[in-house]
Amino acid sequence: MKHTRRRFVKNTATAASAGAYLFDIVPARALGLQGEPPPSDVLNIGHIGIGGRGRRFLRPEADMTKRITAHTNLGGDGSRIMRPARSMALCDVDSGRLDQAATLVGGRPRLYKDFRRLLEDKEVDAVYIASPDHWHALQTIMACQAGKDVYVEKPACNTIEEGRAMVKAAERYGRVVQVGSQGRSQPGAWQAGNYIRAGRLGTVRKVTCWHYASPDGDWTPDAEAPPSLDYEMWVGPARWIPYNPKRTHGAFRWMIDFGGGQIRDRGAHVMSIANWIMDCDHKGPVSIRATGEPPKDGMYNSAVTMEVSYEFKNPDWTLVWAQPGVPSTTLDARYGAVYWGDNGNLTVTLGDGDRTFTDQKAKDFAAECDCGKIFRSPGHSENFEDCIRTREKPIMHMEAAHRVASLCILGNIGFQLQRGLDWDPVNERFRNDEEANRLLSRPGRGPWHL
Amino acid sequence: MADEKKFLADIQSDDANVRFDAWRRAGEESATAIAQLGKLAASTNPGVAKAALEAITTMTHAVGKDPASAKRPAVVKGLLEIAGAGYALPVRVHALRMLSGIAGEESVPAIAAQIASAELREEVIYCLEQIPGRAPIQAMLTAYNNVRDEFKPRILAALGHRRAAEAVELCAEAMRSPNKEVALAAMKAFARIGLKPAAEPRFPDTAQLSDWEKTEHTDSLLRYADSQAGSPEALRIYRTALERPEEHVQCAAVIGLAKIGTPEAAAAIVPKLKSTNRTVRLTAQQAWKAIAG
Repeated sequence: MKHTRRRFVKNTATAASAGAYLFDIVPARALGLQGEPPPSDVLNIGHIGIGGRGRRFLRPEADMTKRITAHTNLGGDGSRIMRPARSMALCDVDSGRLDQAATLVGGRPRLYKDFRRLLEDKEVDAVYIASPDHWHALQTIMACQAGKDVYVEKPACNTIEEGRAMVKAAERYGRVVQVGSQGRSQPGAWQAGNYIRAGRLGTVRKVTCWHYASPDGDWTPDAEAPPSLDYEMWVGPARWIPYNPKRTHGAFRWMIDFGGGQIRDRGAHVMSIANWIMDCDHKGPVSIRATGEPPKDGMYNSAVTMEVSYEFKNPDWTLVWAQPGVPSTTLDARYGAVYWGDNGNLTVTLGDGDRTFTDQKAKDFAAECDCGKIFRSPGHSENFEDCIRTREKPIMHMEAAHRVASLCILGNIGFQLQRGLDWDPVNERFRNDEEANRLLSRPGRGPWHL
Repeated sequence: MADEKKFLADIQSDDANVRFDAWRRAGEESATAIAQLGKLAASTNPGVAKAALEAITTMTHAVGKDPASAKRPAVVKGLLEIAGAGYALPVRVHALRMLSGIAGEESVPAIAAQIASAELREEVIYCLEQIPGRAPIQAMLTAYNNVRDEFKPRILAALGHRRAAEAVELCAEAMRSPNKEVALAAMKAFARIGLKPAAEPRFPDTAQLSDWEKTEHTDSLLRYADSQAGSPEALRIYRTALERPEEHVQCAAVIGLAKIGTPEAAAAIVPKLKSTNRTVRLTAQQAWKAIAG
């Protein structure tokens, strides 16, 4: 039986125990925010992974009573006053890092080496996850199961299956999940998006990214893990490999199974802005063509150079990720993207770190006109904290982040297999390529499974 | 043969560029070279070991696209050989990873036979988990009965990941295991498979569970309800969840009920429109909008 709205309302009214639940007599106050006391002003944050990147998110006890602005590294222009928050729980598998972070935070944060203990802490409202990439999916999913809202660093995931599972977990529990491609929240990206969505370039048919090549690596002998590091936990769900200082902490980036190279690191920034501006947060390409070279020697295996071309349909456009690629002629930067339209082109540089820049013409246009077609984020952390209150989806919500991570992953699969791939973006499967389809998932290890 | 000799010599070259060129063209070489590459992959010279492993990888990918590729059986045969006891452990692990990408059901007995190896069993299960078809599932079900309790959770996780309908009864039974690790792994697998067993499923008793295990218990119940959407059982699970104190469990129940979307399910959501918990209330409002159109 088809559920029409009229029949639905009628039946629901019958099923409800009292007529008091009908739409017309539910007080407006119960359906909105008017007259509501504000939620607790202080956000209790837990941090999972507090090495280099993770420290950016720490909220020192001493800042609790100050009016502080967000670091520009977290997006936004740094002008908005942050909601008061305290870093009340810290977790890292390296006790050295844990101690350093505790000193930075001050006060008496609760310290954990096992993130599950932090997730059990009922006083923690939200978690910032800045562990290595191969942990992002499981920790996000488990945080949702524990009822935490989540800010997780990019890239969202290491496999297509992981990304889809993260989307489902966020949906199942109604959790706010913001992924740390903060470029979307920076003014330069909005200015560029506003310019392009207003039609100033005409139809954009191509976006070309450039980025410098990856390191080759060398041969550093495997070693005993330092006593401060729980290395078994560091590897977690990934394929087990012996400890090596040149593959752990920040250097995991250059191993396909762990970090996936530049395309999954900076690609998750530059292509995030492209997907956003091109309105592809719920879409994917239909074909992927990748070429490139891995390191000829040394222990790394992610691409040193690569070029990946993604074809999108309806509307038709092409996205190119290239290491090193062709830099913009209008702005000087180590990486970024050029948007090619019928009526000219526009550059957007960086997309991570402290700033995103765009050409002057987009800045001038933004000063005069907001085309109203693209959301203007107050800053990435601020947007996350806003959404915790409103329960709306943040600017880099899980589906959008999964679609961006998918680009990075698909590019790497094409690179690994050294052949063209046809992709079904609805069912998220390759067409006519059995081996490629087996690379869409990666079974966990030991007790760590999706 | 002369070409193969040159290829293997190039893999062992002192010049990294020569080794690289050799491994990149390995897809054109005969699969008979795999056995020798398996030996070279254990070389104490890391550059040579890398070139040999990468050559094996290139050969595998070259036959990966088409299951009917004429060369694929020979490559699979070569990989099965170097996954065997005569080769170094890292080489055997690599061979199993490659087999996980291209092996078919006919290779399952040879792969599953290695599950007895404590050093390899994790990789064996990984490999079986990735091979399509019923044979790997049957192999895992057989292995389950033959391995010690400590490894049963890993096999259950694989069966759950595969959404293996054949494992439903096994999971339903294992949920009652006196071994808590086994019972919890069975519960998670059961929830992921999401099919109703012949008898009423009995989830593990929560009294003995840690806080985190209770979280997983609740998650499994909700996943099971999600997969039984529209059934009286799903409705019962969600209604019970609505009464739980945890905000996110109430939210999950609201969202699950909204997906069912019947008047009965909607009626269960209605009280939450007035919840004193802001997050639950907002979630209920969003759910209400979604189902009322």
